[in-house]
Amino acid sequence: MLADLIQNTLDGLTAGAAYALLAVGFTLIFGVLRRINLSYGAAILFGVYTATWTSLNFQVGLLGLALLAIAGTVVAGAYVERLCFAPHYAGRENSRTQAQTGSIAAMVASFALWMQFEEVAILALPKHLYAFPPLYTGEPLQFGGFLLRVESVYLLSAAAAVCVLLHTILYRTRFGLAVRAVIDVPVAAQLSGINVSGVFVRIFALASAIGGLAGFLIAASHEQVTPMLGMWSTLKGMLAMMLGGLGSLPGAVAGGLVLGILEAHSQWFLGPQMRDLLAYLLIFALLAIRPAWMMRWTTTRSAS
Amino acid sequence: MAALLEVKDLVTAYGRIEALRGVSLEVAQGSITCLLGPNGAGKTTLMMTTAGILRPRSGSIRFSGHEIAGAAPHGIVERGIALVPENRLVFPQMTVLENLRAGAYQRRDAGGVASDIDRMFTRFPRLRERSSQEGGTLSGGEQQMLAVARALMSRPKLLLMDEPSLGLAPLVVEEIFGIIRELHRDGTTIFLVEQNAHMALGVAHHFFLIEQGRITFSGDPGSLAEDEVIHRAYLGSAKA
Repeated sequence: MLADLIQNTLDGLTAGAAYALLAVGFTLIFGVLRRINLSYGAAILFGVYTATWTSLNFQVGLLGLALLAIAGTVVAGAYVERLCFAPHYAGRENSRTQAQTGSIAAMVASFALWMQFEEVAILALPKHLYAFPPLYTGEPLQFGGFLLRVESVYLLSAAAAVCVLLHTILYRTRFGLAVRAVIDVPVAAQLSGINVSGVFVRIFALASAIGGLAGFLIAASHEQVTPMLGMWSTLKGMLAMMLGGLGSLPGAVAGGLVLGILEAHSQWFLGPQMRDLLAYLLIFALLAIRPAWMMRWTTTRSAS
Repeated sequence: MAALLEVKDLVTAYGRIEALRGVSLEVAQGSITCLLGPNGAGKTTLMMTTAGILRPRSGSIRFSGHEIAGAAPHGIVERGIALVPENRLVFPQMTVLENLRAGAYQRRDAGGVASDIDRMFTRFPRLRERSSQEGGTLSGGEQQMLAVARALMSRPKLLLMDEPSLGLAPLVVEEIFGIIRELHRDGTTIFLVEQNAHMALGVAHHFFLIEQGRITFSGDPGSLAEDEVIHRAYLGSAKA
């Protein structure tokens, strides 16, 4: 029993690290823009499919594929940003209702692009499943009877590296100061001479790059890709972000790891059908019992 | 004196409601100019439109001869206008020092910024004491000083101030107006929106009355009895 718990937790960390990366990207966009980007996962799908298509047609190493996945996701992200989000940035509208309509319009438009990316991916690679070059082909690591996949070490290190990088950017750079100002009081950031839409564009690019990295690591550790990757990334990323309490980066990481470990345990003890159900149940319980949990980062300040 | 800021026939609307219905006024270079008027007359709308946060529907805003109506806020800061907004809007989760650095965001002269921060700390000693405290932990008066200092960090030629005395204790209000006089003495042109007509008329060289989105009077502080000003602006507050 205890051995199962430990092994499940180790297994859960792999998926959890992937969820954490996805949630960090989501959180960056939500935390800074206050908008939900529904095509975040689809942009990742686009990036990963770009890498998959290339690996099917050309000889490219893992590093090259990683860069392709990141570049593809950033390009797709920029497309989403220009088409869905840029027309609705606050500050160009003179009324609150218009700003709210803009937020809904951006979300719905991003949903439309999700469909578009999926169609493009299926047109380019029509089979349901494609092999993706593996991240690692050797044996898993062993610690006194317990197994830890080497892929999960990669994923966890990537998640940790992204956290350190983001923390450094946010607290040690001029751009980070601007980002924090925009998060704190957007109007005051504008009045301080910060180009807020410029910050949004760069945050979108950064979040997309993280998403592309996550997509590559996920595809390479699963050693396969399907067109469901977009839907999967959006779902897992949003779940992890909500578990972490919308809008907090450390929360997103914790939410991702908790979700991964929770899934591993419920799959082992309750079976695969219960795996996803339990995560949704937890979200439901949080919303029903402690709705404040999810709003704790978003309601602390209000700019009138 | 030449006009530093010239507003002409400015119309700004929230949806179908026009908050400014053709406002024209001038702020002379080197002056303290004051805009008085009741709640909802359009004072804050004018400030936010000048700073680029709101887009005008029509009309013109010229600053040092350049048209700035409808320009992006960061472009307006770059030209040399800074707004101390209503309710101060300091960054509550950033330290006092970071608030000041944010105010200097467009400046690339690190040395100049550092010495300006030191100047702000000399002018506002309480900000120095609280330099590593988060903006949200300061008192109202301290937040107002931080908002003023943050705006000054961009080295503006024109400082817009929206209700700097709002919600502050009388002694702190005196202090704020003392600072306004000092800033003016140092060469900053100031365009001030106030509810406290008595204090405002005490520092202003010129004032405008705004009612229901239109300028209804313009003159020097002596040109209209203070009672009359207060009455016309529906300020209600008895003069001191």
